[in-house]
Amino acid sequence: MSENALLQVKDLSVSIDNELPILHNINLEIKPGETHVLMGPNGAGKSTLGFTLMGNPHYCVTKGNILFEGQDITDLSADKRAKAGMFLSFQNPHEVPGISLGSFIRNASHAQTGAPVKLLAYKKALKSAMDVLSMDEAYADRDLNVGFSGGEKKKAEILQLLMLNPKLAILDETDSGLDVDAVRTVSKGIEEYQKKKDGALLIITHSTKILESLHVDYTHVLVKGNIVHTGDGSLVNEINANGFERFVKED
Amino acid sequence: MADTNNKQVVADIDRSLYDFKDVESEKDFYRMAEGLTEETVLKVSEEKNDPDWMRDFRLECLKLYNDIKVPDWGPSIEGLDMDKISSYVRHKSDMKGKWEDVPEDIKNTFERLGIPQAERESLAGVGAQYDSELVYHNVKDEVAAQGVVYTDLESALRGEYADMIKSHFMKLVPPTDHKFAALHGAVWSGGSFVYVPKGVKVDIPLQSYFRLNAAGAGQFEHTLIIVDEGADLHFIEGCSAPKYNVANLHAGCVELYVAKNARLRYSTIENWSKNMYNLNTKRAIVEENGIMEWVSGSFGSHTSYLYPMTILKGDNSKMEFTGITFAGKGQNLDTGAKVVHQGKHTSSVINTKSISKDGGVGTYRSSVIIQKTAKKAKASVSCDSLMLDSISRADTIPGMDIRTNDADVGHEAKIGRISDEAIFYLMSRGISEEDAKAMIVSGFANPVSKELPLEYAVEMNNLIKLEMSGNG
Amino acid sequence: MSNDLNMKVNVLPVLTYNFLHVNDSTLQINDFNISDNKSPLAKELPAGVTVQKAVPFAEAGEIFRKNNDRILAPIDGHVDPNGDTSARDKDQALRTGMGADVDGLMISMGATVDIYTVEEGVKADKPIILNYDMKDGDASLSGQVIHARKDSEVTVIIAYTSDKDAKGFQGVSTRLLAEEGARINLIKSQILGDGFVHFDDIGGACLKDGKIDLVTLELGGCKVFSSAYVNLAEKSTAFTSNMGYLVRGDHDLDINYVADHRGKKTEASMQFKGVLMDSAKKAFRGTIDFKKGSAGSVGDEQEDALLLSEDVVNKTMPVILCQEEDVEGRHGATIGELGEDILFYMQTRGIDEEEAKRIMIKARLDSVAKLIPDPEIMQKTLYYIQNVV
Repeated sequence: MSENALLQVKDLSVSIDNELPILHNINLEIKPGETHVLMGPNGAGKSTLGFTLMGNPHYCVTKGNILFEGQDITDLSADKRAKAGMFLSFQNPHEVPGISLGSFIRNASHAQTGAPVKLLAYKKALKSAMDVLSMDEAYADRDLNVGFSGGEKKKAEILQLLMLNPKLAILDETDSGLDVDAVRTVSKGIEEYQKKKDGALLIITHSTKILESLHVDYTHVLVKGNIVHTGDGSLVNEINANGFERFVKED
Repeated sequence: MADTNNKQVVADIDRSLYDFKDVESEKDFYRMAEGLTEETVLKVSEEKNDPDWMRDFRLECLKLYNDIKVPDWGPSIEGLDMDKISSYVRHKSDMKGKWEDVPEDIKNTFERLGIPQAERESLAGVGAQYDSELVYHNVKDEVAAQGVVYTDLESALRGEYADMIKSHFMKLVPPTDHKFAALHGAVWSGGSFVYVPKGVKVDIPLQSYFRLNAAGAGQFEHTLIIVDEGADLHFIEGCSAPKYNVANLHAGCVELYVAKNARLRYSTIENWSKNMYNLNTKRAIVEENGIMEWVSGSFGSHTSYLYPMTILKGDNSKMEFTGITFAGKGQNLDTGAKVVHQGKHTSSVINTKSISKDGGVGTYRSSVIIQKTAKKAKASVSCDSLMLDSISRADTIPGMDIRTNDADVGHEAKIGRISDEAIFYLMSRGISEEDAKAMIVSGFANPVSKELPLEYAVEMNNLIKLEMSGNG
Repeated sequence: MSNDLNMKVNVLPVLTYNFLHVNDSTLQINDFNISDNKSPLAKELPAGVTVQKAVPFAEAGEIFRKNNDRILAPIDGHVDPNGDTSARDKDQALRTGMGADVDGLMISMGATVDIYTVEEGVKADKPIILNYDMKDGDASLSGQVIHARKDSEVTVIIAYTSDKDAKGFQGVSTRLLAEEGARINLIKSQILGDGFVHFDDIGGACLKDGKIDLVTLELGGCKVFSSAYVNLAEKSTAFTSNMGYLVRGDHDLDINYVADHRGKKTEASMQFKGVLMDSAKKAFRGTIDFKKGSAGSVGDEQEDALLLSEDVVNKTMPVILCQEEDVEGRHGATIGELGEDILFYMQTRGIDEEEAKRIMIKARLDSVAKLIPDPEIMQKTLYYIQNVV
């Protein structure tokens, strides 16, 4: 089974800046094309898992390891993971003055592939991705995330997802703080990603709005740093109706 | 898409672009003995075939130079020994108006710096100074036809504009201003004179390129620009030198006269080698409704004192200063701007960025003076510093002196570093840590590079990349 | 007693252009015959606080010298900023805002200081109140040391008062030591007469987790030096300062504040709000100095000067020095007239321009005066503001 796994997380324990442990013995396996949802109440450690998978140096793996396409990436820096085909969309992406969104994506593509990015083809691809997300083309010329509203920042993250085409995308609370229309647009972007490249997804969320139009293969429930339950897509609806209470009690 | 921002995909930088030493034969060059005496000054004067008033002026300046103390407030200039600096070095050939006629060795230097190519492509005129003398000067015919004068200062001193030079030369920067202004007055050589007649708008920039190639020499060029009523000019200045183990000195002087309703933009990318003491004085005076714009990038030099000053004399005159300083290993760059508001409704905006790395010392220093007559004046200063490690220094020393209530003065300064979160964010998109840092620094510098003509913006980004890689 | 003393005080930590005439200031006391070296008795001392009266100035400095291995712990790899002036004050027992010449004056004039010691763990239940009530013709030098031992807390309120047209000279040195976890809250209200030359030379040092808070009102006097140098020597120390000032007539206020960040995670916040009228002069120097090793520190400095006459002279010198990557430093200054928007707003409510200005000046100074924790001194200060404005 594991031979064709994209991501394998084995007995992973994590603490922040070498202080209190946050995640305990996490096990997770994601195959190409699968969509996994990680749910759980606030403070359960969901974002910690996202950051750890992507290699944020503040999060320290105290036990276990992370494999991507069979390779141990536990000690790799974030850029190497990205080059391997991982992507993390940030809940609150950083503002970087002086670099436009458009040239940033072009730089990132170049960094990941090492090949020169052909300007015309690139512009065309960017335009069509922006169309999917109903983004005005002018955004490409604005400084990366600077002065973007919450919704614009999320769209800009999904735009990068579409342009960079990773094998696995981890979406951290991509729906938080968005109105209904924006959620729909963002979902459309995510569907487009699934469609285009058999892309695998790990969607981290504490609500279910964004999942309504997506097919979900597995749902994991994270409570106090432990995965307490794993089920199929229908678990999303159950949580939607009853909340996390059942799982919190189990703990 | 803003493709000019595409800094990270530029090809690797070749430091040899600036650092090469030109193979030259000593016998082709005339070099004055080191040290500064009345005799040396008279010798320079004789070499230049000065009018009498200029010779007397030089001697006056020498006295002042000997009387005035070195400044007590800036970086140390102990490493600069005037007894070891030759104040005059020239090639034994005259200035040329045709590129083909420039001596081969000098031509090669400027070819390697890309100067003639830039002239063909995007400049209205070019002057090139090599050590103490201009070796080449040329203005496009259509610009000359508009009546624009762009020539070396020495021939202007004896020609049609002699009176104009006499009435403006070192009037804005008097030799009493400071020790190195006096030194400049005593041994100045080379430089350009530009006159843009009333109402003439020069669409493409004029450029001067300064190359100091001789070891242990001083360069003291004088730039005098007069932009007459309603005229408009962009002047670009580039500087470079190969690195030697002995101190070199640059004590140039720039005097800019911006008449009523005129506009002058003065852009500089300074990349002197890191044995250079850059003690340069730049000053502009702006009449009614005139506009003075400075764009200034300081990357090179061992030690710099550089604070372009603007006197907003006329009502409604304006000044904008945009500057960046990158202080790397072994550098002490003390830079900033000065402005004096005299006229009513005058306005000034100073925006600077400074970056310190590898033990470099970067100091932002400024003064904003609002005189009593400057009713309804507006001044705003914003200076940001970026520290890239904890062995460097980034200091901010701005001063304000306000003598009317009817003014509006705002000041903002920030100091900080590149946040770990920003680096992680970029790395999560596949960019290496080093490139992520370079990208953030380029972004930080963007407000300055976007003010520069494209080829200069590219050069500036190359310099940033060079500094970031530790090979600067 | 020497009568020809011209002292260089309030020296900027780094020199700049001489034409700004802001690198230092001169304290002249030629015209005064200093005769009185007495400092006031505190009305009543809180429990756990003791006082040692009339200690010679130099001897009182020993409290700081004893801790110098902590306050001035050597910094590896320190590089001086351009124009550094720290050498001139290096022999002070504790660096102060005005600098070494004041120490010299105190010692040569035989000035004494009172040492207040707050015992370990004591949270003083009431403030120490010192009333300097000056008479016309007085000329005095005095001072105090506030020594807050480990984990103690104390509030000290110093009020400088005299008749409105009294003349004289009054110089004070106030030195503070907040040991580990200690907190000193110093409040100063200065409403001296229009003929008073006054200085208050404050120096402070905080050891681990120690904190110094200053509230200063400089409202009277004809020539006033108001200065503080606070050494944030160790981890998690903090300094806050709130100053309100009013300078009228041909009076002159000269300020020099320095926050010296040495420990990790230190914090400084300095706010200066004031009003210049008539032909008043003011020089403000404020420095945030992040020394190498002060990682995680934050420093903020804001000046807001309201200029109400076309004859005022306002100089502002906000300096940030930095030799540490992981810090955040900010300063801002807003200088000018009352904003047109607020004037217009008031006018729409039927308030004329003069009255609007009065309201705004008062509001600005009252906001600082209301931080005085003693109701009587607060009322007196508010009353002074009301009358002058």
